[in-house]
Amino acid sequence: MSAGAPILRVAGVSKRFRGLLAVNDVSFAVPEGSICSLIGPNGAGKSSLFNLVTGYLPLTAGAVWFRDRRIDGQGTTAISRMGIARAFQIAKPFPELSVRDNVRIGALFGREGPRDVASVVRDALQLTGLSDHAGQQANSLTVGFLRRLELARAVATRPALLLADEPCAGLNPTETEEIMGILRQIRANGVTVLLVEHDMRAVMGISETIFVLDAGAKIAEGPPDAIARDPRVVAAYLGAPAEG
Amino acid sequence: MSLILQTILDGLVLGGLYSLAAVGFSLIFGVMNVVNLTHGVIVLIGAYLAYAFWHGLGVDPLLAIPLVMAALFAFGYVYQRGLIQLAVDRSSLLASMLVTFGVALMLRNVLVLVFSPDFKSVTPSYAFTVFFLGPVTIDLVRLSALGASLVLLCVLAGVLRWTAVGRVIRATAQQDLAARLCGVDVRHVYGITFGVSAAFAGASGAIIGIVVPFSPPDEALWTINAFVVVTLGGVGSPSGALLGGLLLGLISTLTSQLIGPQFPNAMMFLILVVMLLLRPSGLLGNAFSGSR
Amino acid sequence: MLAEGIRAHRWWIVAAAVGFAVLLTAPAYLTPFQVRVGQLFLFSAGLGVAWTILGGFAGYWSFGHTAFIGLGAFVAGAFELHVPLGSPVATMVAGTALGSLACAAVSAVIAYPILRLRGIYFAIAMLGVSQVFAELTNNVDAFKGTMGINMPNAVPASMEPQTFFYYVFVAATALTLGVAFWVKVSRLGYGLVSIREDEDTARMLGVPTERYKIWAFVLSATLTGLLGIVYAHALGYITTGSVYRTDFSLNMIVYALLGGIGTIVGPVLGSALMVWLTQVVLGRLLDVHMFITGALLVAIVLLAPHGLVGFARKLLRRGAGGGA
Repeated sequence: MSAGAPILRVAGVSKRFRGLLAVNDVSFAVPEGSICSLIGPNGAGKSSLFNLVTGYLPLTAGAVWFRDRRIDGQGTTAISRMGIARAFQIAKPFPELSVRDNVRIGALFGREGPRDVASVVRDALQLTGLSDHAGQQANSLTVGFLRRLELARAVATRPALLLADEPCAGLNPTETEEIMGILRQIRANGVTVLLVEHDMRAVMGISETIFVLDAGAKIAEGPPDAIARDPRVVAAYLGAPAEG
Repeated sequence: MSLILQTILDGLVLGGLYSLAAVGFSLIFGVMNVVNLTHGVIVLIGAYLAYAFWHGLGVDPLLAIPLVMAALFAFGYVYQRGLIQLAVDRSSLLASMLVTFGVALMLRNVLVLVFSPDFKSVTPSYAFTVFFLGPVTIDLVRLSALGASLVLLCVLAGVLRWTAVGRVIRATAQQDLAARLCGVDVRHVYGITFGVSAAFAGASGAIIGIVVPFSPPDEALWTINAFVVVTLGGVGSPSGALLGGLLLGLISTLTSQLIGPQFPNAMMFLILVVMLLLRPSGLLGNAFSGSR
Repeated sequence: MLAEGIRAHRWWIVAAAVGFAVLLTAPAYLTPFQVRVGQLFLFSAGLGVAWTILGGFAGYWSFGHTAFIGLGAFVAGAFELHVPLGSPVATMVAGTALGSLACAAVSAVIAYPILRLRGIYFAIAMLGVSQVFAELTNNVDAFKGTMGINMPNAVPASMEPQTFFYYVFVAATALTLGVAFWVKVSRLGYGLVSIREDEDTARMLGVPTERYKIWAFVLSATLTGLLGIVYAHALGYITTGSVYRTDFSLNMIVYALLGGIGTIVGPVLGSALMVWLTQVVLGRLLDVHMFITGALLVAIVLLAPHGLVGFARKLLRRGAGGGA
């Protein structure tokens, strides 16, 4: 279950927005080759953490390690080129470009630069089931397909680690299952996946390790069945006081 | 010493005009996020209307201000409802800016055809009355220009603060969706805002006419002046326009006195660019939050 | 990438080759007036395409590109005036190279700070830059902006001036089109388009946005400068007012908008239409040029926001039947 050395290590990371401590001394490690999830109630700091890891926001304290390189303080572009891709919660396609060109831009600028672009694009479209929509303009896609495009474009950058920010938000159960299938396939292709997701059933079904955030701090970590039984997690979600 | 005092006084007079000329631009930008490149030409239309009243009917430019304002209010309202709103609905803000630019070119061409491309000026009877205040001199024209500018700015501030229309305009500026949900007819408010903006631009034009000569190509300069004033002072409020305008006035008279008479424009653009780069939110921190 | 791009656009390339073949032979059977109109068309098309590299591809709309027309023209002019080389043609070539280099250098220096601005702020800041350049040209003695500079005459004795400059314009415009095409099909082009569509996401995907924007700005400025220098030579005598023209800045945008923003063929079609309208159809109505340009601008934005190319695409799509 637990694979090799950590590909991503978040060590004592904090982020303060003016007075608010959005992320409070959070540490965790994502093993290479796994699918891990980050869960927590709204406002727990999950998206902030993604923003910190990808260099979108500067840290207030702590460090982020990618394999054995310290990456906090590096620019977004540099971090992306090391092999960390991100799929946004609110899909941000390049609206006036075709699906294929969206994915092609990922392939042209990802980790390995413009190599085998055509086949990378083809594979990414196939993986996400977008091959038949390749010529369509991105802003004409439905929400479900936009999420797939988001994943396809991220995969095309040939990342080692994919940060997927709520890829199933607003989708129906069938679509959610399809997205989970795509994520499993992405992992099978050798990409580590860190997922933020609200759909507990999906998270429990796919994750090897789950990290739980509440009010900016990590309150639990472990395999799905242990997390499901953890009283602090239940309390955080149900708002009841924690026992012991 | 008296030279510096004189320069500062001239700068303040000019600054009052810049403030009044820019306040409408600032209002439109603050309320609907539209950069109105027609603004400068509306200022000039005000000047030409006052010119026409003076030469045609012998009406004093300062007394003609209410007439000019009424005419341009109507123009502004119709212009917004008939054209600007269409452009905003159909395409991006950048494109709507191009529409205002296109209209500016058309109006400028009309001004050239009607009034010729030459410089015009308005010289009322009191144009040559001069006061001495200790070491500095001030003529009645400039004094009344400054006075009229300040009075009109206060009037606008009062309207925005204390009247029902003003409250609705301010509410729409802050949250147009919320205003819409509260039953405000946002389009009507936009029309009124444009009308108010045009009216005050016209008033400033009428005053400008008695202080400096003007010609149709000046419109670009008045638009850019307004942009600089807003960059310096902040968006959407008469007080911001006043601050920015006075600063700009001082900058331009001091530059021309201390560096050379040919440099005020270069200095103004330099300040514009530098301000955008260093303090995109204006000196008071309420302008241009979206500039980068 | 280039090979792939050439294959994908082979029909456009054929069309461009045919177009240039026609342009090259045209002076043989055109009247001098028509040759001058041809010059203006080539100049306009070149400007529109040069502007497009930054404005159309990267989405950074400059409202002050005439800054580089003026800068290039005055640097070339001042050099040719003060440092005449052996032959007039050599002087002109050296001046042109130096003026273009000056545009490249100056644009590279201002690129980083000014490209941090977005949208209308960038547009207006560029307008400011062009005004500052114009004022400085007026006030720096070497440039003699207000008195003007007589550009040394490099026209060979065997040729009519308008024909000579026509061919120089053909070369400059062909170069501009070539560079723009190379940018479009290269990684740079895709990167620029992604910046236009969503700069933050582009960065997230690994696009070196800062570097690419600077490249686009410098290429666009240099080509604009080159065209401006040719124009200055064709004019023969330049003042600040004749090369720092706000209507140049505006027209570049109008050509691109009219034809179709973000495409290369767009500004070419747009300038052809505009030059034909203003020079041939309305040649005698100089009084209302500005009015018509303005009205056209309003009409395009309201009626055909994607220009002639967008309009044609829509027709094609409708013609193809049932396409989404």
